[in-house]
Amino acid sequence: MTDNDSIDARVPIIICEDVTVSFGDFQALKGISARVYEQEVVVIFGPSGSGKSTFIRTINRLEEHDGGRIVVDGIELNDDVGNLEQIRSEIGMVFQQFNLFPHLSVMRNITLAPQKVRGVPKQEAEEQAMELLERVGIPEQAQKFPTQLSGGQQQRVAIARALAMKPKIMLFDEPTSALDPEMIKEVLDVMGELAHSGMTMMIVTHEMGFAREVADRFLFFDEGLVVEEGTPEQIFTNPKEDRTKLFLSQIL
Amino acid sequence: MTLADTKRHSSDTGAARGWLSKNLFSSPSNSVLTVVVGSFLFFVLYAAVKFIFFDADWTIISVNKRLIFLGRYPQGEEWRVWPPLWLVFGLGGLSYGLLARASRRDLVWLGVILAFILGFLAHGGVGLLFGGATLFAIAAYRVGRMAEDRPRLRSRLRRAVIVGWLVLIPFTVVMIAAFGGVRPALWGGLLLNVLLAIVGIGVGLPLGILLALARASSLPVLKAVSTAIIEVTRGGPLVAWLFISRFVLPAFLPDWLQVDPIISAMFIVSLFTGAYVAEIVRGGLQSVDPGQSEAAHALGLNTFNVTLFIVLPQAIRAVIPALISQMIALWKDTTLFTILGFTDALGGAEAAFSQTEFIGRQKEALLFIALLFWSGSLGMSRLSQRFEKVLGIGER
Ligand SMILES: Nc1ncnc2c1ncn2[C@@H]1O[C@H](COP(=O)(O)OP(=O)(O)O)[C@@H](O)[C@H]1O
Ligand SMILES: [Mg+2]
Repeated sequence: MTDNDSIDARVPIIICEDVTVSFGDFQALKGISARVYEQEVVVIFGPSGSGKSTFIRTINRLEEHDGGRIVVDGIELNDDVGNLEQIRSEIGMVFQQFNLFPHLSVMRNITLAPQKVRGVPKQEAEEQAMELLERVGIPEQAQKFPTQLSGGQQQRVAIARALAMKPKIMLFDEPTSALDPEMIKEVLDVMGELAHSGMTMMIVTHEMGFAREVADRFLFFDEGLVVEEGTPEQIFTNPKEDRTKLFLSQIL
Repeated sequence: MTLADTKRHSSDTGAARGWLSKNLFSSPSNSVLTVVVGSFLFFVLYAAVKFIFFDADWTIISVNKRLIFLGRYPQGEEWRVWPPLWLVFGLGGLSYGLLARASRRDLVWLGVILAFILGFLAHGGVGLLFGGATLFAIAAYRVGRMAEDRPRLRSRLRRAVIVGWLVLIPFTVVMIAAFGGVRPALWGGLLLNVLLAIVGIGVGLPLGILLALARASSLPVLKAVSTAIIEVTRGGPLVAWLFISRFVLPAFLPDWLQVDPIISAMFIVSLFTGAYVAEIVRGGLQSVDPGQSEAAHALGLNTFNVTLFIVLPQAIRAVIPALISQMIALWKDTTLFTILGFTDALGGAEAAFSQTEFIGRQKEALLFIALLFWSGSLGMSRLSQRFEKVLGIGER
């Protein structure tokens, strides 16, 4: 997709223009501009502390930006609470620490939001939850509680929970970093399947083999800025920036 | 361990000796401790048994039963107390049945308390009414158990139980006071303690949760108001607040705001409990991982739903033991109302041992009151342990 005309012909579903985020005096994002197009898979990578999590959290306003503009699916992110809840229900988010609700069964973890936010009737929500659990490969765990599952299973429940809201975009923040090595693949497989089904995805990950397979585009973050952007081809065979080269040589 | 195990296989006496040597006589200093504590316990127990079964004269209780249980509550109006009591028995049985299978230990305690009530306190018609209530509770428990593997019945019963507990206070007040009923000033005895405790819990608990949420909120006004209420209330002892409600406030309030002293006492007890509950719950709120509300918000849930379904349940679960001990403290604090001249259970006992024929019988009367409050506290603490176990499933 190096042809600029064909990119511009598609619809950007996320538009960020010169986005800045600060924590007190410290500026974590120093002006990020990026676009994500429908059905695109964008992988974000870069050193620890470079602002990857902050960026992805800013897109559904878990952090507030203090400069620039963010437009998601045609709605601008601002103080308007109605906008915010609308945008959040269209964006699924998967966290490094899973963040399943420990006091609710797997089934309830998945059905709660569709019932309360979308007003889906209970039975329909549960049927849909079972379909999703089958899709992520653990239908037999529906009645268990999160702590009774392995890390890989928990993260797959978290993905199912996010998908239950029928989001247009899925955000992943290092979804496999808290997992034991033998469980990483089962989660990546689910994400790969999701990418092939045409979901728009933004993924922070350092699983470069997986990333190369599914990504349409890479963003390399360093010190709160997008230092380099490109297709897997460009990034892996011909990175332009020295910092990208150095970082890739460290993690590959 | 292995030593005791092998001995258990060889013979029972060997096992007993193994247990003794392991638990009581494992070292010289432990042996000394065992002997000292053992003989102390023996003498206390001996004195207690001797007093309870031989030296004591329990006629003070049987003659003054009514005074202790109902205070100055008028004759002939007792029937008003039964329907709420049955409701409590039924709800108790059903709640327990829905929560868990009764453990043998709970059954033993329940049996002891029931035997005590039926054998000692309830003669004749009252005995029948109590017996009926007990059977009702057992039946309700059975129904609760039956629902275990019937999800639809279960959720329906659960809803009924919640509604039942919610209407308990209004129902009780209506039963006792409405339709030419009994003026609050005449409520007394253990009935008054129970009413004060139920109102204190029923109003104080939700009030405390609301105060805690307000204090944790990001709205400055809400936060300041709730912090002020909590800190002022906790700044004085309950007794001081009771005196203020009785003797100071009436002087400042306009006529139309003057209420019955018992009503203002209930108000104070609710506020007081609310303030302490608020601080306990605040601790619980702080213990919930921020990732929980982030994940919930990220799903599009609004702040109200995030609080109600995600944060609050986890916060309260974390502080159940502290909440229960607050409830137990409240239950015992209800006796402080005697200093305002209300005849609660303790006041009834005091009135009883000031009667000329019972002079010098304080021991019996006070022991009996202690037993009443102890069985209430025991019930609450057992229930909370059940609760924690049942809720423990989903814990981190
Ligand atoms: N809540 C916060 N308060 C203060 N500083 C923060 C906060 N969150 C992140 N930061 C800082 O912002 C920078 C970027 O963090 P983050 O986005 O988590 O980096 P990454 O995910 O790339 O490792 C880091 O220097 C981090 O210390
Ligand atoms: Mg991060």
